[in-house]
Amino acid sequence: MAWLVVRLAISLSLLYTASAVFEDQVGKFDWREQFIGKVRFALFDTHSQASKKLLVATDKNVFASLNSRTGDLFWRHVDKTGPEGHIDALLMYGQDAVVVVGNGRLLRSWETTVGGLKWEAVLDTGSFQAAALIGVQDFVKYVAVLKKSAISLHDLSSGSQIWVENLPDSDTVQYQTIYSGGNGLVFVLGFVPSSHIVIVEYKIEDGEIMKKKSVEAAWMSSLENSCAVISSGNLLCVDQITQSLYTLPLQSAEHTEMRQIHLQTLDLEVASGFQPVLTSTQPNPAQPPLAEFFLQLSPDHHILLQLKDDLIAPLRDFNPSYLAAFATSGEKTVAAVMTPKNDTACSINLFSADTGRRHLDTTIIYHMDPNGGKPNRLYVHAFLKKDDSVGYRVMVQTEDLTLTFLQQPGRVVWMREEALADVVTMEMVDLPLTGTQAELEGEFGKKADGLLPMVLKRLSSQFILLQAWMAHLWKLFYDARKPRSSVKNEVTIDTLSRDEFNLQKMMVMVTASGKLFGIDSKSGTVLWKQYLEDIQPNSIFKLIVQRTTAHFPHPPQCTLLIKDKDTGLGSLYVFNPIFGKKSHISVPALPRPVLQTLLLPVIDQDYAKVLLLIDDQYKVTAFPSTKNVLQQLQDTASSVFFYLVDSSQGKLSGFRLRMDLSTELIWEVVIPTEVQKIVAVKGKRANEHVHSQGRVMGDRSVLYKYLNPNLLAVITESTDMHQERSFVGIFLIDGVTGRIVHEAVQRKARGPVHFVHSENWLVYVYWNSKFRRNEFSVLELFEGAELYNSTVFSSLDRPHPPQVLQQSYIFPAPISTLEATLTEKGITSRHLLVGMPSGNILSLPKMFLDPRRPELISEQSREENLIPYAPEMPIRTEWFINYNQTVSRVRGIYTAPSGLESTCLVVVYGLDIYQTRVFPSKQFDVLKDDYDYILISSVLFGLFFATMISKRLAEVKLLNRAWR
Amino acid sequence: METRVGSRACACVALLLFALHASLGHEHIKLQEDEETAEELKLRAPEGDVRVQVSGRALVPGVRTQDWVAHARVLLDGDTHVGFIREDGGFSVSDVPSGSYVLEISSPTYRFQPVRVDITATGKMRARVVDYIRTSEVIRLPYPLQMRCLGLHSYFIQRETWIWSDFLMNPMVLMMVLPLLIIVLLPKVMNSSDPEMKREMEQSMNMLNSNQDLPDVSEIVTRFFSPPKSHGRAGGGARASVGVAQGVRGGASSVRGGAPRRRSKINTAVTSSE
Repeated sequence: MAWLVVRLAISLSLLYTASAVFEDQVGKFDWREQFIGKVRFALFDTHSQASKKLLVATDKNVFASLNSRTGDLFWRHVDKTGPEGHIDALLMYGQDAVVVVGNGRLLRSWETTVGGLKWEAVLDTGSFQAAALIGVQDFVKYVAVLKKSAISLHDLSSGSQIWVENLPDSDTVQYQTIYSGGNGLVFVLGFVPSSHIVIVEYKIEDGEIMKKKSVEAAWMSSLENSCAVISSGNLLCVDQITQSLYTLPLQSAEHTEMRQIHLQTLDLEVASGFQPVLTSTQPNPAQPPLAEFFLQLSPDHHILLQLKDDLIAPLRDFNPSYLAAFATSGEKTVAAVMTPKNDTACSINLFSADTGRRHLDTTIIYHMDPNGGKPNRLYVHAFLKKDDSVGYRVMVQTEDLTLTFLQQPGRVVWMREEALADVVTMEMVDLPLTGTQAELEGEFGKKADGLLPMVLKRLSSQFILLQAWMAHLWKLFYDARKPRSSVKNEVTIDTLSRDEFNLQKMMVMVTASGKLFGIDSKSGTVLWKQYLEDIQPNSIFKLIVQRTTAHFPHPPQCTLLIKDKDTGLGSLYVFNPIFGKKSHISVPALPRPVLQTLLLPVIDQDYAKVLLLIDDQYKVTAFPSTKNVLQQLQDTASSVFFYLVDSSQGKLSGFRLRMDLSTELIWEVVIPTEVQKIVAVKGKRANEHVHSQGRVMGDRSVLYKYLNPNLLAVITESTDMHQERSFVGIFLIDGVTGRIVHEAVQRKARGPVHFVHSENWLVYVYWNSKFRRNEFSVLELFEGAELYNSTVFSSLDRPHPPQVLQQSYIFPAPISTLEATLTEKGITSRHLLVGMPSGNILSLPKMFLDPRRPELISEQSREENLIPYAPEMPIRTEWFINYNQTVSRVRGIYTAPSGLESTCLVVVYGLDIYQTRVFPSKQFDVLKDDYDYILISSVLFGLFFATMISKRLAEVKLLNRAWR
Repeated sequence: METRVGSRACACVALLLFALHASLGHEHIKLQEDEETAEELKLRAPEGDVRVQVSGRALVPGVRTQDWVAHARVLLDGDTHVGFIREDGGFSVSDVPSGSYVLEISSPTYRFQPVRVDITATGKMRARVVDYIRTSEVIRLPYPLQMRCLGLHSYFIQRETWIWSDFLMNPMVLMMVLPLLIIVLLPKVMNSSDPEMKREMEQSMNMLNSNQDLPDVSEIVTRFFSPPKSHGRAGGGARASVGVAQGVRGGASSVRGGAPRRRSKINTAVTSSE
C-alpha cells in the first residue's frame, strides 16, 4: 500500500517535470554527426558496377559501410574499445566481408548490404599474424588465419573450422604471411631473424604438411613490408643494407638459395635510413598475383617493376610521387599514383599495370588543405566505363584524418572529418554581432551629445533596421519562388551573426589528433579547421576562452594549452575562435612543466582575461603580461589563491600569490596513497549563477544554501580493490583555507566515479560492488535558517560548519558520463544529463536527487513539492533528449547557457557529436512552438465580427422600437 | 550441489525478508550495506581464467531480423563486453570472465527486458530477472537466453491538441452556455403562453433596475489608472524560481479561465434577478 502511494506521488510529480521532445521537433534544433575514426582498412565493393558500398574498418574498432557517392553511413558496428575489439584484418569477397577481431580471437562474417552478422567463430588464443582468403579452382571458399603458432582454415559460408594445425618450430620461427595461388596449397612464410626463411606448404583439404623447406637469408629482418609474393608463387624481398632484391620460386624443390639482384643493375637506390616497401596485388584470391609490383625507395619515390622470365624490368619510375596503389576492375588492373604538382596541389594519374603506360584524360587534381596535413593513404575505386575504358575515383586520407573522395577531374564528391571522432575538449563561444546590431548597441554606450543628434541617430538606426527587415522579406519572397531543393541556408563564416536569443554559437572543438574545429552549433557545419602539426600523440589539451565576443572591436580570443603527457612541457596556441586564425600575440615561453592554470577575472586594457600558469617550481607566468596587468595583479595578489594536486603522492596543496608574483604555500592536505588515491578534483564552474540564496520550507522559513565558490570536491578510490573492502571517498575542501568542510565514505563501492559539483550540491555515481548496481548519491550543504554574512562570502571567516544532507538512490542502468544543465541566470530548475553506454542521453530532474525527499509524506513536504523517497530512480524513455539518435561511446557532455533563461545548449561528444537544446522547466519565456496562432486569431476575429453584427442588430432594434 | 541449492534458498528467504523490510520504507535513506549472503561470495570467488560464452536469441515479433539487427548490440554491464546479433536473431558474447552481469540489447527502436547472467568460477551459468532492489532474489529465466521485444521505445510525448469537444465539455463553457440557453429560450416559452405574466415580469425588472446603483464612470476610470497594489516584485528570490518551475500551465489556464468566470458572474446576477 505504501508502495502504491509512493508510486502515485512519483507519477504525479512526473507530470510537472517531464521535459520531453515532441515528435514534430525532430531535427528542428538538434543534429547528429556520426564518425568512424582513422581508417585502417578500406575496400570498395567491386562486385557489381552500380554498387556504392565502401567498407571501412578503423582504429576506433568500428566496422562500417559508407555510401561512396555521398559519404554517409549505410550502417556501422561499434565494437568494444581496447585490444579486445581491435580489428586486425578485413577481407571481402562478393557480398560478404570477413573481419578478424581482438588479436585473432574472433572471426566474423558480415553481410554487407544491410550489415547483418552472418556467422561468428571463436578462434584459439594466440597472437594474430595474417589472414587471407583461399580459393580453390577459381572459387573462393575458405579463409585462413595465421597465428603465432598455429594456422586454421575456416569455411567462408558457415564459419566452421575445417582444420587447425600447429606450425613447426613456432618458438624460433616467426611466421608472418600466408599465400595461396588457388592451386590447392597454402604457403606459410616465416623466418628466423638474420638466418633463414621457412616455407611450409599445407594441403587445403586436410591441412597436411606437404613440404617444408628453409632458405638461407642472413639479411632478413622482417617479412611484412619488405617481402611480397608475385606472379605464380615467386617470393620477392627487398633489403636496404645490401641494396638488393631477392627472388625465390616457392614451389620448386631445387632452389635452396635466393637469387640476388642488385638494385644498382636496375639503376635504383634506396634512400638511406628508409625501409623499402614492396606492394603487390592479387585481384582474385583464387588466382596467382600479378607480375607487376611497386617498390618504394624513399618517402616520395615509387617505381613500378615487372618480373618476367626471372628478370626484373622497370616499367615506370615515379619520382617524385607520394602515394601509389593498385586497383582492379574486371580483368583490368590499374595503378594510381599521386605526384606533387605544386605547393598546394597534387595530381593523381592512372597507369595500366601491365605496361606502365599512362591512361589519357585520367588526371585528378587534389588540392591540399593549407590548414590540413599531408596525404598519407590512397584508396582507389576503379570501374569500367561503357566504352570499356577504365574510370576511377579515389579516396585520400590525410595525416589530420580527413577523408576526401574525388572524381575526375578533381571534383570533391564528399569529405569526412574523422578527427572529430576523438574530441578531447570543447568550448562554446558567442557569435559576433552584425554591423546593424553593433550600431544599435553602440548608441546606448556613447555619451549624450545633444538632443537633436540623438534623435537623428535613433531615426537612422531605425531606418537601418527597417532596411534590413525589407531585405529579409525580399529574400523570403525571392526564395519562395525557387524550388525547395535549391534553397539552402548555407552557413558561411561571413554570414555568421548572433541571433535574437543567442541560441546559435560557435563550437570550438579540440581533437586528440591536434586538429581544431569551429562548428556552427545550429547546423553542424564545419566553418573552420586548423591542423596543428607536430603535436605529440599523447598530449593533454586545455582550452581557455580569454576574451569573448562582447568586446567589439577587439576580436575574441581563445588559448589552447598543449601539454606533453610525458615531459609535462607545455606550449600555448592563441587563436580567434570565430575565424580560426592564429593570433599574432607574443606567447610566453614555458621552459618548465606546467602544473596548473588559472583564469583570473582580472582583465587587461584589451579586455582579455589574465591567465596564470604555474610551473613545477611554483613560479607564476601571467599571460598577457603587460604592465597594466602586472599592476592589477599586484593589487589583487592578496586575494588570489590556487591549489595543486599531486595524485601520485596523494597531496593537495594550497598556495597564495605574493605581490612579486612568487607563491607561498599556505595549506596542505595529505591523503595517504597506501589506502586511497585521488582520482578527480573538481571545483564549480566559473560561469554558473545561483539565483536563489535559499529554499523556502513548508513552514515558510528559509533554509539558506552554503554557497562557497571556493569549494573543491575531491574523489578518492581505495587501493584495495577487493569487493568487501573497496570504498570511494569524498572530501569537500575549501580551496582557500584547506579546511575539510565535509568528508564521506561510501563503503563496498568502487569507481569509476562520475560526479557533478554545482551550487550547493554534489552528485556522484559509483558502483556498489556488494549489490552490483550503480548508485547515485547526493550531498547538499546548507548554512541553516540564518545566513552568516549575506552580502559576501569569505572562506576566511566561516565560524559555522555547514549542515550536510545526503541521500542515495539506485540507478538501474550503466553510466558513461554525467553533467548538469546550465542556464543564464540559474532560475530554471536544473537537470542532470546522464550519458549511457547504449547511446542515450537521459535528462534527469535534479528534483529526484534531493536529500530532503521524505520517507513519509507530510503536509509540509507536499507544500514544498518534495517527491517521496523511493530507492530506485525512474528512467523513462521520454526523458532521452536524443530520442533514437544514439551517441556512441559518450565521452563528454558540454552544457552552455543561451540568451533565453529557459534554454540550455547541450553538446554530447564521443564517437559521434550530438547537439541539442533542453528546456528543463519547459519554454516559459518564449511562445511554445505549438502555440495556436490560428485559434487565437480566429477567436479574436470572431469576437470582432460578433460585436459588429450585434451592434448592427442593436441599432436595428432601437430603430424599430423608436418607430413603434 | 544440493547443499548449494539449500544455501541459496536461505539467502533468498533472508533477502526477501530484507526486501519486505525495505518496502515498508523505514531505513532507506542510506542504502543498506549490512548482511552478507553466501551467494555473493560464490559469484565473486577469485576470478580465475574462466572465460565463457554467453549466448541466446533475440526476437522481435513481426519484424524481419535483417531490418533491425544491424542497429542493435548486445551489451554486458554497459559496454564492458559487446556482442552482435546474427541474421537469425541469435547472439553470443565471448570471453566473459566469471561474475554477475546485466545483459541488455540496445536498439534505438525496440525495447527489450534486461537479464542478469551469473557465471560462477567454474563457468556455470544461469539467467535471472534483474531486480536492483532485491539483488539476490532469484527468479530464473531459461538459458540460453530468450530475449523478446517488449515493444517500441516511446521517445516522444503527445502534443496537447485543441479539440472542439474538449472545449465544449469544459465546465466553464457549460456554465456559460446553459444560462444563455435559459435566458434566450425561457422568455420565448413564457411569452407565447401568458402576456400578463410578461407584464408582471417587466414591472419587477424595472423595479430592480431602478434600485440597482449603476457604477460611476469616473470611478471606473480612477480605479483603472490608479497604481496596482504592491504584490508583484516583493516575492522575489526563491519564490520566483518556484513559480517558474511549476511552469506556464497554471498561468495560462488562469488567463483562459478568467474571462468566462467574470461573464458567468454577470449571468448569474441576471438569472437571480429573474
